[in-house]
Amino acid sequence: MSILNVAKGMGVTLSHLFKKPVTVQYPEEKAQIQARFRGRHHLLRHPDTGLEKCIGCSLCAAACPAYAIYVEAAENDPDDPTSAGERYASIYEINMLRCIFCGFCEEACPTGAVVLGHEFELADFRYDHFVYGKEDMLVGVKGSKWQRREAERKGGEVELGFQAGPRPELEGVDY
Amino acid sequence: MKIKVNEVELDVTPGTSVIDAVFAAGHDVPYFCSQEYMSPIGACRMCLAKIGAPRKDRATNDWILDEETGEPKIFWFPNPMATCTTQVMEGMVVDTISKDVKKAQNAMVEFTLVNHPLDCPTCDKGGACELQDRAYEYGSGESRFVFDKRHQEKHHALSELITLDRERCIHCKRCVRYFEEVPGDEVLDFIERGGHTYIGTLEDGLPSPFTGNITDICPVGALLDTTSRFRGRNWEYHHTDTTSLDDPSGAALRIDTRTGRIERIKAGLNDDVNKTWIDDGTRFGHEYADAEDRITRPMVRRDGTLVETTWADAAREIAERIAGMDGTRIGIALRGDATLEEGVAAKALADHLGSGRLDTAPRPAASVLPDGAAATLRDVATSDALFVVGDPTEEAGIVDLRIKDALKGVEPAPLFPHGPAIADLRLKERMPRKREILTICAPYRTDLMKHAGQAHVPPATSMVDLLHALAERASATVDGGTPSGAWDDALGMTAAEADALITRMRSSTRGVMIWSAFVSNDPRADEAARTFAKSVGAKTLILGPMANTAGLERISVLPSHDRYDYASMFTPETKALFLASLDPAVDPKVADRLRELDLLVVHAAFPTATSALADVVLPAVTGYEKDGTTLNVEGRLLPVRAAPVEAGTATDFTGVVKQLGEAFGTRLEGRSVKSARRVLRKLLDVDAAELPTTGQPLPPVRGKASGARAVREYARATGDALIVPSMVRVEHLDRNPHLRAERGDAALRAHPATLHAHGLTSGDVVTLPIGGIPRQLRVTASEGVPEGLWLAPTLPEQPVGLYDANLAAMVRERSATAEVA
Repeated sequence: MSILNVAKGMGVTLSHLFKKPVTVQYPEEKAQIQARFRGRHHLLRHPDTGLEKCIGCSLCAAACPAYAIYVEAAENDPDDPTSAGERYASIYEINMLRCIFCGFCEEACPTGAVVLGHEFELADFRYDHFVYGKEDMLVGVKGSKWQRREAERKGGEVELGFQAGPRPELEGVDY
Repeated sequence: MKIKVNEVELDVTPGTSVIDAVFAAGHDVPYFCSQEYMSPIGACRMCLAKIGAPRKDRATNDWILDEETGEPKIFWFPNPMATCTTQVMEGMVVDTISKDVKKAQNAMVEFTLVNHPLDCPTCDKGGACELQDRAYEYGSGESRFVFDKRHQEKHHALSELITLDRERCIHCKRCVRYFEEVPGDEVLDFIERGGHTYIGTLEDGLPSPFTGNITDICPVGALLDTTSRFRGRNWEYHHTDTTSLDDPSGAALRIDTRTGRIERIKAGLNDDVNKTWIDDGTRFGHEYADAEDRITRPMVRRDGTLVETTWADAAREIAERIAGMDGTRIGIALRGDATLEEGVAAKALADHLGSGRLDTAPRPAASVLPDGAAATLRDVATSDALFVVGDPTEEAGIVDLRIKDALKGVEPAPLFPHGPAIADLRLKERMPRKREILTICAPYRTDLMKHAGQAHVPPATSMVDLLHALAERASATVDGGTPSGAWDDALGMTAAEADALITRMRSSTRGVMIWSAFVSNDPRADEAARTFAKSVGAKTLILGPMANTAGLERISVLPSHDRYDYASMFTPETKALFLASLDPAVDPKVADRLRELDLLVVHAAFPTATSALADVVLPAVTGYEKDGTTLNVEGRLLPVRAAPVEAGTATDFTGVVKQLGEAFGTRLEGRSVKSARRVLRKLLDVDAAELPTTGQPLPPVRGKASGARAVREYARATGDALIVPSMVRVEHLDRNPHLRAERGDAALRAHPATLHAHGLTSGDVVTLPIGGIPRQLRVTASEGVPEGLWLAPTLPEQPVGLYDANLAAMVRERSATAEVA
């Protein structure tokens, strides 16, 4: 190795000293998330009727390579339906520790009910806090379980550490 | 008969359908409407194939030969043929793989799907659906149909147990044919025509005890089991192939479980026993296993209340309290649906304690093992003369169906390599039935009587005398002698009828006599029945009161002496008692006696009146969660396998014996299923662990049935209340909501005139002491009950037979009119 190569290397370093840094000061500063990023799941509703899109068919659970999804279905009350049709998911759980965010569930879903969103700040303290139910994933719920607990404790809004552009399949999800 | 299927040459018996020949050749054709054990009708047109055959010259009667090859010339049918309704012919050639055939099959799939909704994700059949599978295999993969599909009712409750989705029906007619051909109850039919055709019933619900089978045979998701509606998807279920412990027929079951719950029960295939049918009591009576109030941990009484503890602690408590107790004063009783392994364990425990006071309940007064030629269920199905005493529909539903098989007069077809014949061309829609071969005698009108040529309803009190008179008359005429002595027509049968029955049974070659608890519970009646069967040369089939009563008797889980039987356990002689899954405290007198015991150990799955009195309560598993072996009504050893059901630390009786053995400081035989099977191998010369799902017949006992014959007077010749067998297990009815909604509460049946005389109306709920046991029953008017007689369903603690009803002490809990208001 000659001295010339060392000088070249130092030159690269020197040139970067005068460029604008790419580092994001997360969490003080919000990260800009790419549209293709896949984070925690959202369970969507039909925007016109407000009914859940999920029909409890369990195909997501069948497609899941990590066995992270558990679904139990029940029959809709015709007078006060939860979803369109006869069947809805009475229990819909995803274990976020098991989930590998591959998106197979989204691909398997016949109604477009489960969509992987952008939220990635899922850290928590207890095993069962990682099991997300319907109440944690239905559209309109913002943030991870811990973020929502913190917001409630502080009496404020859930603060997400990122920004993301719109995605057509994330209908009704607002970051 | 030589035929050729896609270049595969094979030899088949004449009369075989082409579809079976195709499967036997290892090829495949799709089909929806054909079903094993039912008539082929060619309704779905799915099993199309190109078929050709050589032809004979009319003038010379020689095969017309191909001029080029010199071989017989094949004349092809102008259009594809439905293979299920076509019979094989000598030299036939079948083509199921050419382009033309594929095109025809593809067109049929497309046509079937025209009106079939694409709601597979929400359909309970999805993943196990014949239409879905065939559409994948033979369909084109995309739909050209862009119009609106037929719209009909999506969830029509045919009964409380069966939901019909009329949009999904593809008009294969399996369910309609099933009801006419298998149970013989015509309750479903097609209504309207063409694309508007739908399945419906004019009656209220589905009045048949075998309705659930239509949910198994429906090739699409049109007919579904309501108890499992939306409970899980087919690929999520854990399947356990086991044997029913619900009744003594030994029907094959498939239990589908998910996350520790039984979600549904389907029929298994056992060609020799239940074919693919099971009764509704067995299919829908499983919800109790998942009831909320199951006992999941052992409990010991401390300062008057039962507190949860560990098995080791409970066993130690028992060991301490029976230490030094005289062994002969300790009793052990199992319920008659315990497995053979549990029987071995109970015997080992009794031996260790030095107690001969070991019994099963309910156990008939007479043996339930045949001592002559034992009939198998296949013998019943091929019989040409049947004499039934009792009500097999309620006692062992499968026996009822096999009797109906015999009426069709079609011998069971031999199995193909692919299983039972898919299309047995000897079976026809609406076949004539040989009703005259069936004679039934029961103290009330039974369901099966509508299929019988001769039905006799003798007074309940003269059943025993009638059997005696019949036996005497049959014995007197063995060698063509003439009967001596007068015949009393008041017994419920005229002399001419009796003679006709005897002649018919004697002249037949495959006569079978079937009797049940009405007979077995009275030793005199049992003797008469055996004598009658022997003197007319009929084989015998004895229905035990519970699933494994015969098996437990076979391995001698019996008291060492008659005076140590089950009844003796409730006398002051007994100081300590182990009761497995029994609830004798429903009888207040027995309950008083149980309170005086030094130690009462109850092994139960649910809290009962008896467990409330117990000193130690041990959690038990239900019949769905046991590993073991059972002996069915025809003497066939069948495997019972455990379904994964969440029940805490509950075990079967072998588990109890293991824990007690540890507390006693010894290793008892039967401390595990494996250990019990070592004993069984010595007793029966069979390796129970290696039994196939379809079981293995056990050679009958030669000569007189072994074992003590306790003569107990359960059944007396007088009384005005008749306890009758019940397909629906009354003790579980509270915890089986769907079955209860369909079949109603436990019924007190009586003739309308009898009800009128006592000021009762149908629908009233009464508490009536029958034989000392207060029974809460719903009054039901029934023309089939003789006047003056009260019918109530049996409990394990109240075996079938005549009892005194204390009508003076009857309390009306709720009246029917008040409920309506």
